[in-house]
Amino acid sequence: MDIIKEIYDAVMEGKVDEASSRVQQALNSKVEVNDILHKGLIAAMDIVGERFGEGELFIPQVLWSAKAMQAGMDLLKPHFSASDRTEKGTVVIGTAKGDIHDIGKNLMAIMLEGSGFKVADLGVDVTPERFVEKAVEVKADVIAMSALLTTTMQSMGEVVSLVKAKKLPFKVIIGGAPVDQAFCQEIGADAYGMDAADGLRKVKGLLER
Amino acid sequence: MNIQVPREELLKQLGYKQSPRPKLVNMADEMLGLVNNLLEPMLAFKEIQDEERLPPFLKGAVLKYTGAATLGPKLENKVKDLFDEGKPAEAYILDTAGSIAMTKAGDTLWNEIRKDAASKGFKKGLRRTPGCQGIDLETQEWIFGKLGDCGLGIELTSSYMMFPRKSLSFLARFGGKLKGTFSCKGCKQYADCTLRG
Repeated sequence: MDIIKEIYDAVMEGKVDEASSRVQQALNSKVEVNDILHKGLIAAMDIVGERFGEGELFIPQVLWSAKAMQAGMDLLKPHFSASDRTEKGTVVIGTAKGDIHDIGKNLMAIMLEGSGFKVADLGVDVTPERFVEKAVEVKADVIAMSALLTTTMQSMGEVVSLVKAKKLPFKVIIGGAPVDQAFCQEIGADAYGMDAADGLRKVKGLLER
Repeated sequence: MNIQVPREELLKQLGYKQSPRPKLVNMADEMLGLVNNLLEPMLAFKEIQDEERLPPFLKGAVLKYTGAATLGPKLENKVKDLFDEGKPAEAYILDTAGSIAMTKAGDTLWNEIRKDAASKGFKKGLRRTPGCQGIDLETQEWIFGKLGDCGLGIELTSSYMMFPRKSLSFLARFGGKLKGTFSCKGCKQYADCTLRG
């Protein structure tokens, strides 16, 4: 079987060891690194994300696939030159100020990483100023915020205001149980992610604009 | 308090309506094997007398309670360790098992309060947790002030979140007429709410 297809299948199946060994095998065989990345690892993860969004796959399987993808990426990284842009973009992520819930945020971070994004995870209880400072520091493309409570989601609007007031180029995406599209529009955020898979799709969409 | 999390309930909560792959079942069993040693469930409740600073939800009730329950810090510490060790699927499954256990602890607390209320002649009651419609999060401070040093080990952050995170608190009322226009149906989480009595 084609080695790229085997890498693709290993990620689809969430087989971490197999993804590593097949990527190593491909590297040993001088297969083009970009083909391994885009046609093998990323292509598989894109389908995993789609199937999750369609309710065919559930979170544990997505996490396995993301881990398999990461294992492959770790082997590929030394083969990219410093000028190669291996990441799809950089995302600063965190839980909104006052909120300490992080499971949803962690899942989103793992899915972003698994799909080829560079992620700066600020953790929980992150102030609006910290989101913006970090985004400037890492030259982020997107700021992603999560909140679990109606009381803590208000600070998301402050981040949007800061970004706009300083005329910074970052897109802002929000997610979490109390948040919806109407709130997203109300505060002027660029996108709302209903869940981790939808969030990932929206982040990709924001960067294609 | 004895809390059990059945495998079927965990798999259903994870989204699996049919039997998932054996790898997932094995992982779920592995995490359920950890749960019993990680849970330190505790609860406390207290009957509240009439006073000036009653939260609006309790006003007009004949019998009033406040209560809280927690699973302790061990489970969520283990979840964090698993994430840090690069085992996110295990972490997520264990956290989901913890959420099921927390719901059961909340139900146990509610049943204990209902038993106490029944001994005083009240059968039907309502419970609401801070953050629900009509109950500000600041009410947490009042609740834990009333519960006092009840041994639960729950701490509030400056934004009224609870540590351990797998904790809950609520107000309960029996008898009397609920004042205001409180309605669960206006709540976004109405369909999924486990707190409607």
